Amino acid sequence: MMRDSDIEKMMDLLAGEEKTPQEITREHPETDPRWKELEAIARMMRQEPAVEPPGILGERVMERIRACRPSLWTVIGEALLRPRTASVDPFRALRAPVSGQECSFYFIMVGVFYAILGVVLMIGLNRLGSALAPADWVRWQPLIALVTASCMVAIGLYVQKDGKPALRIARIGAFVYLGFALLNGIAVPLERDLPVSAALSLLSTLIGVPTGLFLIRTIQNCGKRYAQT
Amino acid sequence: MKQIDEREIIDRVLGGDREAFAVLVDTYKGPVFSLAFRMTGSAQDADDLAQESFLRAFQSLGRFRAGERFFPWLYTVSLNVIRNHLRRVKALPEEAVRKGMREATDPRDDPADETVARERHRRLQRYLLRLPLPVREAMVLRFYEGLSFEDVAAVTGETIGSAKMKVYRGLEKIRAMMEADGLTGDD
Repeated sequence: MMRDSDIEKMMDLLAGEEKTPQEITREHPETDPRWKELEAIARMMRQEPAVEPPGILGERVMERIRACRPSLWTVIGEALLRPRTASVDPFRALRAPVSGQECSFYFIMVGVFYAILGVVLMIGLNRLGSALAPADWVRWQPLIALVTASCMVAIGLYVQKDGKPALRIARIGAFVYLGFALLNGIAVPLERDLPVSAALSLLSTLIGVPTGLFLIRTIQNCGKRYAQT
Repeated sequence: MKQIDEREIIDRVLGGDREAFAVLVDTYKGPVFSLAFRMTGSAQDADDLAQESFLRAFQSLGRFRAGERFFPWLYTVSLNVIRNHLRRVKALPEEAVRKGMREATDPRDDPADETVARERHRRLQRYLLRLPLPVREAMVLRFYEGLSFEDVAAVTGETIGSAKMKVYRGLEKIRAMMEADGLTGDD
């Protein structure tokens, strides 16, 4: 039985063609009996003539590509999965011009955060069950978080796609978000005297206000970057 | 293979110029078709799979990373298409070879006086189709497509050592099959 190291050595020898089988046999006698047979098989394969594709193959491929209409999911998937290089530094974004990609990244990240928050709230509030009346503002919190997430991701993708023209929409979105975060922080505790209301109010204000201010500042700095170019 | 600026072509395709993809198809249709043919043993399947591979590559081009080499990426896409196809028709190639229904067919026109070479070619293709899929992949990429072990490992997503081991096992299995048929490597 050959050792793994011998097999690897043998494969290296098969890969390099600068030596003759006789030289290899002399240098590596342990590979001798198998070498000749395996080398002959490898040589036979290498010497096989190339297989030519049908002449019409290229045209058939191009016909299918011309007719190809990507689905909505493919478009979204491509937009999200396409590799991009962007430097991300939130502290620098507060004081220096930032690129559209970086600005877009912050919006998408805020969206991701709210999506997670929405799901957590949905599971958490579900356990409270009948403690909440159907019209309670607190009951709407998961949905509000998920809608916020969708809007933030949509704005992020828009900024990424269109850059400067999208900044106006992003600015409006950030102001609406900030205003809503404040309103939410006030509305929740007013409605019902539940401990969960106070917690949600605090959460909404503590997260929403700094995040909103950060996004507004980033958009301003992104605008400066576009003004420079 | 002519030298082309693949990055520039990819950027043009991603920018909406679909026709630019024809340059990549033209450059790589031979190797992709050959890979599919060696893996399936059928020219018809290879034609379909080569088309599907290019279509998949076109649709996934957005995920192609800057600085990456195009041809190993394309081979990986093709190999995934071929693997899926072979999973669907799992037992077919070996079965087909055994029954002689869909024996490996070479799209080239073989002259009548090359009977020996043609027979050797068919025999090798039959042996190849009897190898386990991962072993067959490594063998085809290494010997028929002429890739280095580094590239074989990159395309199949394994280590270089593992790629070498698979090639070794493949050669050993073919040697055993030839022995069982009363042949040697020189026949």
